[in-house]
Amino acid sequence: MNMQPFEYDLRHLRAPPPDPMARERAHQAALQEFERVHAMPATAAANEPRMRPARPVNSRSAWWGGLASACVAVVGVAIYWLLPPADRVAQLQPAVAPPPVVETQQAAAAASVQAENTAPPPAGQNVARPRARKPARAAVPVPKMDMPAVNEPAPPVSQPEQRRADTSSSALAIVTDKPVPPSAPPPAPTPLLPRASAATGELSEVTVVGSRRAAPDMVSASPMAIVSVEAENRDRFQHFETNPVKLANEEPVSTFSVDVDTASYSFVRRQLNQGVLPPVDAVRVEEMVNYFDYSWPIPTSRERPFDPMVAVSDSPWGKGRKLVHIGIKGYEVPATRRPDVNLVLLLDVSGSMNSPDKLPLAQRSMALLLDSLKPTDTVAIVVYAGAAGEVLAPTPVREKDTILAALNSLRPGGSTAGAAGIQLAYQLAERNFRKGGINRILLATDGDFNVGISDREALKSYVGREREKGVFLSVLGFGEGNYRDDVAQTLAQSGNGVAVYIDTLNEARKVLVQQASAALFTIAKDVKLQVEFNPDSVAEYRLVGYESRALNREDFGDDKVDAGDVGAGHTVTAIYEITPVGSPARMIEDRRYAEQPALRAQQRRTASSEYGFLKIRYKLPDSQRSRVLELPIRANTGVPPRLKQDVEFSAAVAGFAQLLRGGRYTGTLTFDDVLRQAQASRGEDPFGYRAEFVQLVRLAEQARGM
Amino acid sequence: MDDPQITVLIRRAQDGNGRAFGELVDRHYDTIYRFAWKWCRHRANAEDIAQQACMKLACNLGQFRFQAAFTSWLYRLVINCAQDWQRAQQRHAHTDLAGTEPTADPHRAEDAIYIDQLLQQLDQLGEGMKETALLVHAEGMSHAEAGAILGVSESTISWRVHIMRKQMQQREPLASTTA
Repeated sequence: MNMQPFEYDLRHLRAPPPDPMARERAHQAALQEFERVHAMPATAAANEPRMRPARPVNSRSAWWGGLASACVAVVGVAIYWLLPPADRVAQLQPAVAPPPVVETQQAAAAASVQAENTAPPPAGQNVARPRARKPARAAVPVPKMDMPAVNEPAPPVSQPEQRRADTSSSALAIVTDKPVPPSAPPPAPTPLLPRASAATGELSEVTVVGSRRAAPDMVSASPMAIVSVEAENRDRFQHFETNPVKLANEEPVSTFSVDVDTASYSFVRRQLNQGVLPPVDAVRVEEMVNYFDYSWPIPTSRERPFDPMVAVSDSPWGKGRKLVHIGIKGYEVPATRRPDVNLVLLLDVSGSMNSPDKLPLAQRSMALLLDSLKPTDTVAIVVYAGAAGEVLAPTPVREKDTILAALNSLRPGGSTAGAAGIQLAYQLAERNFRKGGINRILLATDGDFNVGISDREALKSYVGREREKGVFLSVLGFGEGNYRDDVAQTLAQSGNGVAVYIDTLNEARKVLVQQASAALFTIAKDVKLQVEFNPDSVAEYRLVGYESRALNREDFGDDKVDAGDVGAGHTVTAIYEITPVGSPARMIEDRRYAEQPALRAQQRRTASSEYGFLKIRYKLPDSQRSRVLELPIRANTGVPPRLKQDVEFSAAVAGFAQLLRGGRYTGTLTFDDVLRQAQASRGEDPFGYRAEFVQLVRLAEQARGM
Repeated sequence: MDDPQITVLIRRAQDGNGRAFGELVDRHYDTIYRFAWKWCRHRANAEDIAQQACMKLACNLGQFRFQAAFTSWLYRLVINCAQDWQRAQQRHAHTDLAGTEPTADPHRAEDAIYIDQLLQQLDQLGEGMKETALLVHAEGMSHAEAGAILGVSESTISWRVHIMRKQMQQREPLASTTA
């Protein structure tokens, strides 16, 4: 038969010669993997952490998931080969017998069952799946072939964690040195293939590896097919309970610290864009509300950096209840009067950052940041992975090319020693300290700090001590699956900084360019709010959000107690839901033996015109003594017409966030209601953030339906 | 079956000798990379697939039992990596897909698009079609060899080759760019 045109073309398909650099990278990566496989002692395999409760899939790791599951099998095989021959035979008679398959898989399964002897039973079966999709029917002796048992879409697999918090021996450090995000079953969507590790544990190499293809564009986080696939996820969030309803006459004083972080919103957005509802603990109502900019009154002087606003409106989800909005906006430092900036970028280049939405996105985000700095400001770069190293000495922003070149030369590889990197970054920041200027470390990480000073408290107090010396720390979180939100929050809070989560380049633009001054210039620190409710007019109250920022009543006046900081132009919004006296919407019944509030109100009629009294305590950035601002919350306050849309929109966001947290206090509120409120109060929305919110509400509704 | 040198390298690597493993990788990188390139026809993606394959080799070499030619086994491994890669790509159609990167020969830029379409069409003809076409036509393997790699019988490969011819004949217009 004549050769057909397509056959001819295929026959003459010629691949270009391989790139020596790529070959070398592959060689190194394979060797590293080889060493990892062979270095892993049997005990390490057996001690691998067990499965976590299944959670919505991390869609970006599917490609790696297959590899990772393959490695589980091989670890087993490696152990198999380490055994003396007699034991090998014994191993081939597994107690937990998988379906009869060819010899290799039995061995793998047996060894793997042994290696994971504390794992739930399904783990072994996963490894020992039939190798060929279609059983061979004809003459060719296929069953005798040795095939890697890796071709099938891996079923959800019990995946050993790559990093362990208590790792200290160097052998284990190598083991952890694997660029494999957590496992996910293949049906999950995966973006571009992540660059594989350049296998560099050594920092010198990190800096010299030539530039590779530009990182894939991460701007789009477009809604994808709704998936509901189960896989483990190692993102960690501090658990917290939703603030309860309190009785004004039993506990009239409510105290909390401001929170200008917005990480929760970005994380929630990312989850929803993937078609899954976020885990409840990932939803912090105040961070969702504070993600948006509101037109709260702008203060005019640096000395009095806030001009607090109070508004009272009807609760959109609780009939007979009211919402009390407290809004503050930080003083905006004029660009011409910005202090000098001494910035140290501290980048995690460990293997776990090897994903388009991690290191490459961090690099591009940092590049964006350069645009919002003055030419005389300086930037230094420190990286950490297996070890920490200085990549770029403090360099004026004027020499942008030098900074960009250093930034773009970074490649992921190695394990994570966050603490050593932080120490080095602080040394650099202190060496280049600008008196009266901004001295800040920007830490970009996926939140992994497991090698080195892994004691979170030690790290936290270290950051706290450095804060006293005038060097602040902010945390930029990247990626998911491994995101340690709890660590990021802790560090940023003790470093007088913000924790933001960057999931797209757009988000980076918002945080690092539009809000650069907020991220960099603290205008007030240790900002605490205290509201005393008037039991004569308020029966019950509930603070919406700020659970992780609660303070004791006595902390308010104690200047030694650390609290949140506010950057230039930051807006902070707090919402209380109150039930006025006499409203039928009360949730808690009167005590039989309590004094009757109505009677007291008659006695002190004057006071009942106030719902409560607001106090804000803050310190100017260079001061150790706090000042206080006071404002009564009058029952007839209402909402200033200029702020009506902002009040309504923030209430819609708060409602949405509460629904995502389970909607314990939101009555019959639905996503549809939120949608309507948000659409009605969208306002000008120059950057489209509010429009995006409306989309998220739709996505949440879809995801919930799954 | 295999070059005795290769057999020695494999055995040493299986015993945990890193240098032998490195040597093994170096000797096969070209084969791996070139096949990966033919699969996706994009340099950087091919490099990624090849690197994945090398890393997977590190993981899986212990499973090789010399019951088949090492190259056949290796091809299978590369195909697995390529399939994983392709699945990942398809789930993210909006990212910058390989598309029409210039080939080694810039004069054949049009043909590059044609080849991409061709491979896509073959892929759509059914499971294993693209793999079969690449192994038989682009790599010049016999039906028996291809069958051994893909884990199907020789006759299945012959049948697939036949089906592809028949189907592609009906789509003649696409093949117009060739001589």
